[in-house]
Amino acid sequence: MRTTLLAASLLASLAVAGTARAEGGTIAGKVQATPAKYLPETVVYLRSVPGSHPARTHEMDQRGMQFLPHVLPVTQGDTVKFLNHDHVAHNVYSPDGEGYNLGSFKQGEAASFVFKKTGVYTQLCSIHPEMLAYVFVGQNPFAAAVDARGHFLIKDVPAGTWQLAVWNGHKLKAPDRSVTVAAGKKVDADFSLKR
Amino acid sequence: MSIPKRFPQLLVFAVVLAAASPARAIPPFARKYGTSCLTCHTVYPKLTPFGEAFRRNGYRFPGVDSDFVKQGTVALGQEANKKSFPAAVWPAVIPDSVPIGVGFNGSLRAFPDKTATDPRSSNGRQLSFDDLVAEGHLWLGAALSDTTTLWGELTLGDGQPVSVEHAQVLFNDVVGPAHWVNVVVGKGFVTLSSFGPHSSYAADVQIPSLPVTAMGGTAAGDGTVTPLGAGLNLLDSFKGVEVNGVVEGRFNYALGVSASNGAPGFNSENWYGSAGFKVGGMRLDGEGDSGPKDAMRPWAEEALTLHGFAYHSNEHFADALGLGPTSNDVSLTVGGGLRAQYGSAELDLGYYTQSHSRGNVAWDAAAGSLAYSKVTGDALYGELSYVVYPWLVPVLRVEQVGLKPSGGTRVTDLHLMPALAFLIRPDMKVVLAGNVETANGFPTVPDPAGNPVPVAWQGGSADWGSIGIGPTPTSLGTSKMSELESVNVFFAWAL
Repeated sequence: MRTTLLAASLLASLAVAGTARAEGGTIAGKVQATPAKYLPETVVYLRSVPGSHPARTHEMDQRGMQFLPHVLPVTQGDTVKFLNHDHVAHNVYSPDGEGYNLGSFKQGEAASFVFKKTGVYTQLCSIHPEMLAYVFVGQNPFAAAVDARGHFLIKDVPAGTWQLAVWNGHKLKAPDRSVTVAAGKKVDADFSLKR
Repeated sequence: MSIPKRFPQLLVFAVVLAAASPARAIPPFARKYGTSCLTCHTVYPKLTPFGEAFRRNGYRFPGVDSDFVKQGTVALGQEANKKSFPAAVWPAVIPDSVPIGVGFNGSLRAFPDKTATDPRSSNGRQLSFDDLVAEGHLWLGAALSDTTTLWGELTLGDGQPVSVEHAQVLFNDVVGPAHWVNVVVGKGFVTLSSFGPHSSYAADVQIPSLPVTAMGGTAAGDGTVTPLGAGLNLLDSFKGVEVNGVVEGRFNYALGVSASNGAPGFNSENWYGSAGFKVGGMRLDGEGDSGPKDAMRPWAEEALTLHGFAYHSNEHFADALGLGPTSNDVSLTVGGGLRAQYGSAELDLGYYTQSHSRGNVAWDAAAGSLAYSKVTGDALYGELSYVVYPWLVPVLRVEQVGLKPSGGTRVTDLHLMPALAFLIRPDMKVVLAGNVETANGFPTVPDPAGNPVPVAWQGGSADWGSIGIGPTPTSLGTSKMSELESVNVFFAWAL
């Protein structure tokens, strides 16, 4: 009986460990910016993670003359579907990277673009020059835009040691950080951005 | 003295009063950056070293200006639109509220000496509330981008028409390193020194003007001579284009052309250049870590700034009542100055000399035409101040202007102005100022009989009030006269 309990306990422990390894680890932290007003346009990301990353499809909406979300992290090869829920026509174009212009589309219409190259694409509307968003195209899916208070959370990061970097739309900078992620664990990493 | 003979003096005196210009402060910048007036000023409009740098930079903070902007903005286009130019319009932003400030200024003036000029010209009155509320102002200050800024000012004189004193677009950092080349287009003050035009606690402008045209005037065929009115003012709001900049933080320069001298009846073509160099203290552009050594005294530094300028003017004007041909007065002004700062003490000194090809006019009865002659003039000014507290600054300002008509004797006017400038609030100030003046001789114009008649002075740069000294009925062109002209209490507030 005692042997049976020990075996069951060992098996349970192995099962938990296996589950954690499959989920990966988490990187969380907070970014501070000087000036603080530029904080919202910030993405924290892993510079390079080997392997292939399945392509996904994301959405960026246009509502109330704004792109939503304002910052959208995607992975190289992902598709972004641009929507329009406004009563006015919008356009979607970017002068960055390979550049694209998806033409104008009315309410309820949509247009998509596949981002094949990494980089940051400034998202503009030629009809409403004040509109702005960013599509951050990373090499891997381990990236997160910070929230209004600067917090970020990157989930399911493979165990290992990675270079954690930060991008800011106003050219604020902070040095990369090396983070070691363990399966099932959370690692904290904070950044302080400045000129 | 008959009324016609007195008329030129009174006219010139009236011109002085009308031309008096107020100090300036710009609340829109306080709102834009969410900062106090004291970031840039001591007792406004006097600027701290940082405030001077802000002004030189085209009303921008050092570094990236928008980093410091706290006021909301509306994008008229995004920065990335530049990549699409010319397919897209070059982007800009505007403040999300109209960047306008409002202010008023005036003065209460007392005349202890009943025989002084003002009581004599106002029936013996010794206390004047006439200018208690003299002017209203609307200021505009905004940025369209990190490099393009706007600056404007409308002045509403009590009973006077609205005047556009400033309306400038400043294209900064046009080429080369930051601050090296800026282009200013519109109407505003020309850059003749390393410091702001209103860089004085006791006067309206740093560099005083010369009353050359008090000597001249237009002469009608009957010999009646009418002064030309306000002539060339070096520091005034002119329409033109100026290229200026700060090189390596220590050298400033300006080159410009302007097409106005601010006075009606003249069609001016002016060009000018100035340069300065600063040793010690904060850089002229405020960049880097050259900030104040003592955070409690941001105005204080140990520094020496030398500056100089040349100003050439060709003023075309019509001769007497259209009887003669169009003529012109060509003038050249060359001057320089220094500012020495030692802690809270500051000494400003400056001097310039000015020559006019047709600064004086008389009726040549034999020839039956006008006879113009040359005039040379000079101005010396100095201002010693000490910032006791950020809200309290005692000041002594001295100005001396001199004129010498061709073939005539040199006349001078010495002006002493002890003052106490203080802030009641950061945006509300009071200046107590005495005004003592000594005129050694008066400029003259010929009367109908051809005799020289002294006219009142209109030079200097006193703040919001007349500094003109008027000859007594018994004065001659060689008379010397001193008077305590007035004791003044100046008020100003802005929001």
